[in-house]
Amino acid sequence: MHQLPFTELLNHLFAGPVTALLTALGLHPTHPTAPIPDHVAMQVLVFGLLIVFFVAVRASLSVENPGALQHIMEGVYNMMDAQSEEIIGHDNKRYLSYLITLGLFILSCNLLGLVPFFETPTGVPVVPLGCAVVTWFFYQFHGLRANGFGYIKHFIGPVWWLAPLMFVIEVCSHLARMMSLTIRLFANMFAGDMVTLVFFSLVPIGLPVIFLGLHFGVSLIQTYIFVLLTMVYLGEATAHEH
Amino acid sequence: MSKKLFVMLSMMAILMLATPVFAQGEPAAAAAAGVNWVAITSGFAMAIAAGLAALGQGKIAAAACEGLARNPAARAGIQLAMILGLAFVESLVLFTLVVVFAKVVK
Repeated sequence: MHQLPFTELLNHLFAGPVTALLTALGLHPTHPTAPIPDHVAMQVLVFGLLIVFFVAVRASLSVENPGALQHIMEGVYNMMDAQSEEIIGHDNKRYLSYLITLGLFILSCNLLGLVPFFETPTGVPVVPLGCAVVTWFFYQFHGLRANGFGYIKHFIGPVWWLAPLMFVIEVCSHLARMMSLTIRLFANMFAGDMVTLVFFSLVPIGLPVIFLGLHFGVSLIQTYIFVLLTMVYLGEATAHEH
Repeated sequence: MSKKLFVMLSMMAILMLATPVFAQGEPAAAAAAGVNWVAITSGFAMAIAAGLAALGQGKIAAAACEGLARNPAARAGIQLAMILGLAFVESLVLFTLVVVFAKVVK
């Protein structure tokens, strides 16, 4: 069974405990010596790298003499703050931690595929599904928190006699948001890999680099779109009818 | 001619126009065992999806260029709207790609 080197390392270290945990939960991995699949190992790697990055930023914070990491993090924070202030309104600071973490996680996952011997975890359908489901529950929770029971008014529509039809349409539309977030991210990453492979099989030298560059650009844009759409849904859900 | 006669003749003409309906009774010719309909259909599906999406995205980009030319100070908002619009249209094409993969892998 083909595994990436990092996955082999993780399986070598943790196969026993992980298989025991899975069988205790009633799930049976197909290869008990290698229960951790590639995309989970890649996500663990991204998680580790992000934690190291955040700790490094925190440790090197300084008011008089800011270093490079502090500049990077300030740049990211200011960009997200400005964007979410524009879209969500004055209440954006409480969502910033989730938005920045989500953005950095998806960006790192997308870009990891460009490094040799690593693959893109977001190129497997379950990883963008996880991000989309968590995001969906996040914005529904904040919509309920901000509006209370009045959140139902978002689903009713403009006039009372259209309410039954509008309710069904709005519920379906909200559920479709999960699907569209997932498929947009997954298909962009997967198609990037596919297209690179196709051109690699045609012209092995030189030309596929262009498609790696395309994958790089698409990774940035798709991360931005995912976070932007999260902000739009949050702004819509927490909008107070004045 | 009188109105009743006109109505009767028009109805007969319309009924005669329905005759092609009777021609479709013959069974479809048995396809050769190797016609790969999935491949043909998925090719056409992706081509149609990509072509129509290209038209839509062209309109989006053209509108963005024109807005930027009229009001260069509004660059941030126009650029944001353009990127958002392009991503939405692109995601529809990718839905088609996902359906193609679902049918090919079965």
